[in-house]
Amino acid sequence: MTPDPFEALGLPARPDLDDETVRAAWRAIAAATHPDRPDGGDLARYTAASAAYAELRTPWGRSEAYADLVQRAGHDSEPATGPLPPIADCDPRADGLPRHPLAAVLEFPARIRYGRPGHLLLRAVIAAALALVVLQLIPGTTAAPADITGVITWFVLTGRRDLAPPPER
Amino acid sequence: MSVWSFLKLTIFLWLLRKMIKACGWLLVAAVVVAAWPVTIVAAAGYGAAWLRGWPPARLARTAAWALIPAGIWTALQGARLHAWQPAVLGPARTWERSWSARSAVDLGRVFLLLAPVAVPAGLALGALAWAWRIYAISTGLGGIMATAPIRFDARQWRRQVRTAKGLTTAPGAVPLLARGGRIPVGGTIRAIGHRWHPVFALPYTACARHTVIVGATGSGKTNLMMRLWAGWFTAALADARAGKGDRPLLVVLDCKGGRDARVKADRTRRLLYGAGARRVAIWPDEARLSLWDLPPQDLAVLLYQMIDTGTGAAAYYADIMQAVVMLAVLAPGGPPLSTAGFLDRLDAGWLQAAWDPGRYPAEAKRVRGAARQLPDIQLRYATLLARLGPGLDGPGTLAEADAWYCILEGTKEPSVAEAQAMALTELTAHAATDLSAEPRAMLLAADDYSAVSGKVPLSNLYERGRSLGIGVQVSAQSWQGLGATEDERYRIAGTADGGIFVLHVPYPDALVAAAGKRRVLETAHKLIGRAWGDEGTTREQRAWTADPDIVRRLDVGQVCYIQRGAATFVQVARPRPSPLTLLPAPATPAPPPNWIPEPRHEPAPGPARWPDPAGLDDLFGHGGGRR
Repeated sequence: MTPDPFEALGLPARPDLDDETVRAAWRAIAAATHPDRPDGGDLARYTAASAAYAELRTPWGRSEAYADLVQRAGHDSEPATGPLPPIADCDPRADGLPRHPLAAVLEFPARIRYGRPGHLLLRAVIAAALALVVLQLIPGTTAAPADITGVITWFVLTGRRDLAPPPER
Repeated sequence: MSVWSFLKLTIFLWLLRKMIKACGWLLVAAVVVAAWPVTIVAAAGYGAAWLRGWPPARLARTAAWALIPAGIWTALQGARLHAWQPAVLGPARTWERSWSARSAVDLGRVFLLLAPVAVPAGLALGALAWAWRIYAISTGLGGIMATAPIRFDARQWRRQVRTAKGLTTAPGAVPLLARGGRIPVGGTIRAIGHRWHPVFALPYTACARHTVIVGATGSGKTNLMMRLWAGWFTAALADARAGKGDRPLLVVLDCKGGRDARVKADRTRRLLYGAGARRVAIWPDEARLSLWDLPPQDLAVLLYQMIDTGTGAAAYYADIMQAVVMLAVLAPGGPPLSTAGFLDRLDAGWLQAAWDPGRYPAEAKRVRGAARQLPDIQLRYATLLARLGPGLDGPGTLAEADAWYCILEGTKEPSVAEAQAMALTELTAHAATDLSAEPRAMLLAADDYSAVSGKVPLSNLYERGRSLGIGVQVSAQSWQGLGATEDERYRIAGTADGGIFVLHVPYPDALVAAAGKRRVLETAHKLIGRAWGDEGTTREQRAWTADPDIVRRLDVGQVCYIQRGAATFVQVARPRPSPLTLLPAPATPAPPPNWIPEPRHEPAPGPARWPDPAGLDDLFGHGGGRR
């Protein structure tokens, strides 16, 4: 079974760690255990930390590793067979939010965080810049709102791919 | 006519032709320059389609989306000017003013003013131009060199693959389930005959029918199958939660076994947990099923079929064995409840006690006749059931989990795996037809079924699935792996109404033939010396819808989906549950390590219990027993 990569980097097992935290943890361990150090370092620990860093360096990797841990914990404590819980209990939502129209809105920050926030930010910057250009060059014309609608349409249509899928998908 | 006159006429005609052509081009150039905002958008769209390998449909859809700003602009113009004529002529006036623009900023301003109209028009024009280019090149009407169609196609394929790969890495582009209960498979590389979408998605009902997956080892078959399983499960569970369908039950038979199978089982379990499954059982490592839960008649037939019997003189022995198994399983008092119980019954003493000569004279006579062979039969079953292991000795039923991942050691122990496959197939069929249990929407997936198809041919499995109303998904490493005979293979491919997925295989010809051929135009050019002249002929030809050469060259994770005479090439996306779907660890107390429940105990043999008097009402009606 794969060892806990969070533990190898001395990090708490959480899916919402950011890239910088993970990188800083790996650098600290690498600096202390690298085999090129005068004291010979600690090859086993260095290798384990490097493997863990390779696994946890992206948000996707962290969510996968965290899912592994959760699944392992859940699986170890459940009998292999037995009566199934009612179908109504089979909700893929982890946060226990009720099925309410607002739930989709409340999930939005998490979907951004677990998606590609960098890409999304870049798209947002481009869209904002284009909107500013429109407002600067043709203010008060009928074309300005239409152009800005076009920019927003582009942002929504392309940016949704950078969001993590909702829990039920 | 003198030679000089002929020369003059020829030169005149040549010049005239060239002049008409030049005038045409000049006219086009004038229109292109005059309509410069539209030209810019069209050129940008055309360039993007060329660079990204998009089909014209992609540009056309973008043009359709661009009609939203155009609509808003029209509405605002109408509201501001209160008349349609000045509103419609507005862009023309803006365009007129653009000729007096002195700087780049002025031109930018004009472009932005015209953008609501110029963008959809330009994109539509770009789509038309790109469609014409594809048509001209593929039919041989365009291109400078004779190799132009080949080079164009190869270049576009590379770009289409790059675009599809890019799409599969986007976290939200290829979820496990899309809107409308569709299962996204991956980024579309190329669609021939099917409607093009950036992400290729199957309706989940296609999985509930029969699908065939063929791909060599390492071609990405596992990822594809997992994606289909997870997508089907997610969609079926959503339907069940909404009260629109039965609760899903996925049964996977991994017929190769080994370490890889355990890794796949773990990944599948994680995916299904992410999709909402509450229990995914891995058989036989962590969970057991009970063969003895089958209806007695089916159990007797299955037990008989699990043993290899010969032909000729051996047929006599086979008949005796079948009779003994029937007597043991159908004995009064009910069928055996465990392996030990069944083996106990293969004993003359037990059978004679069970089949009381006073009440069952014919059966008792048969027991006496077979008494000499009983020790041999018991030995054979003891050996077989010991080799099968405790995995089929219960307790446990398919209904007790959302999904079963069954690992059969088809590579290591083919004969054992074959017997296990038979038993599991029978249990699945029983689960599908058991009226006393909760109805389930079922999908039976057999990975590398050819490894265990000795006793139950794939075609039988398929037909069984059809008759029981459960979806069957089978995978094989090659066309030959689908069946023992060509007839059987064609039968399987022909009944795959959910579609055929072909990954990289060295001999795909028989598989791609399922997509059939399409009509194409082939142009032959007349050569003048070594150059390509401007005369030639065009004729209609037939070409493979799914080109076998492309299928041969498919990379890891690329698949050709064939259905209804059309084909779509897809870059399969690795299945991942939504990161937001992280189930909290269950709060149930932990059982002892390696907990596997004990099998049930067989009741002591004895004479049949007299039916409950109340039960006789079913047969004779109230008071019937007294008549």
